[in-house]
Amino acid sequence: MGMAEEVTLKPNYEKLCSKILNSDEHIRFTGFVNDKSKILHSEQKDNLDSLLNDHEVAMSIHYTLERWRKAQNFTFRLGKERLTFTEYDNVTLVTIPFKGTLLLVSTEPRISYDPIIEKINSILTDWEKI
Amino acid sequence: MENGTISYTQLLREDLGIFRVTPDDKVPDFKAGQFLTLGLPLDSKIVNRAYSITSSPQNKSFFEFVIRWVRRPLPGRLTSLLFNAKEGDKISWAKPAGNLTINDTLPNGEKDNRRIVCIGGGTGLAPFVSFAQHLHDTNDKREIVVLHGASYVDELSYKDLLTGLQNESIEKGKDEWNFKYSAAISRPQEWFNRSWAGQVGRVETFLRPRDNGLSPLEELIGGKITKENTIFYVCGWQGTIDGVMDFLNPKGFVTEHDKREDGSFEVKYESYG
Repeated sequence: MGMAEEVTLKPNYEKLCSKILNSDEHIRFTGFVNDKSKILHSEQKDNLDSLLNDHEVAMSIHYTLERWRKAQNFTFRLGKERLTFTEYDNVTLVTIPFKGTLLLVSTEPRISYDPIIEKINSILTDWEKI
Repeated sequence: MENGTISYTQLLREDLGIFRVTPDDKVPDFKAGQFLTLGLPLDSKIVNRAYSITSSPQNKSFFEFVIRWVRRPLPGRLTSLLFNAKEGDKISWAKPAGNLTINDTLPNGEKDNRRIVCIGGGTGLAPFVSFAQHLHDTNDKREIVVLHGASYVDELSYKDLLTGLQNESIEKGKDEWNFKYSAAISRPQEWFNRSWAGQVGRVETFLRPRDNGLSPLEELIGGKITKENTIFYVCGWQGTIDGVMDFLNPKGFVTEHDKREDGSFEVKYESYG
């Protein structure tokens, strides 16, 4: 008698990052972090300088996760958080919860975001095929 | 239910606070480690919930509590009311209860002189803050170790008080007051915990032997832990209790729930999840 075996598919963060990063010319950076601030994988466009140093990146991830955790305190009223935007003068930060992790994307500021989000969501929806 | 007043509130972080309740009448006798049921009105009913008391039974001015505001999946009803309350608000309370109290005698009637090790996960520290102050206030000569586990450094409630008790032990000498305190942070890699230089991992990792065969707890006390020389008190999530027992069961420790025929045991615990 055979036993049923549950198979849990884990996203390939490396391929996902690469695909998202190359899906639009305005995207600067993509990365996935887990809820313990660990960067699972990240990629940045080759020709760009980082806006933050390593210490500031760690701080930025902490702030992003803090905000994400606090946003979840309203889930029971507002439903699941799907997307956030923070537009600075020099960059726009986008976060999208994905399979218990947080997808971090940075783009050039003041661009049309809808097409980018559509592309990202399409890639995330099809993640099992990647 | 008796009546009292919320006489002091101190937010340590958005979801962690210290609260004092001053009874209208007086603080009744209770045992260190017990809890108190508090009640506040909501929609013309009284909502009740029990919280471990952190103050010493010798403190006859007020009850003190350290309380976490858990909000997921749903915010706790009474805890939400408490975090919205102001100093001076009225509150009701029922008499102290609970069995996570200090063992003073062995089953054969002799005095229990074993080392006391308290392990608290998160706000599971609460009863041991009461233990520590009570044992200090009653001039108890036993060796006492309080271990606290938290995810973030700003969750180390009572660090100041417990460090003060440890410093007093160093100054007076262990024959007068024998107290040690240490903490573990479970998310040391996170930016917010970047200043942490102490034990890392869950609080039960204090019991995990290192390469030299001694656990961090044994290094702290400078000797081996055996079921003959130590009694453990544990409070926290069930996962913390299970994690502690994973280390203590192989050493022959048994809990009060599974005590031997002669009534002996070496672990008392209380879980809140």
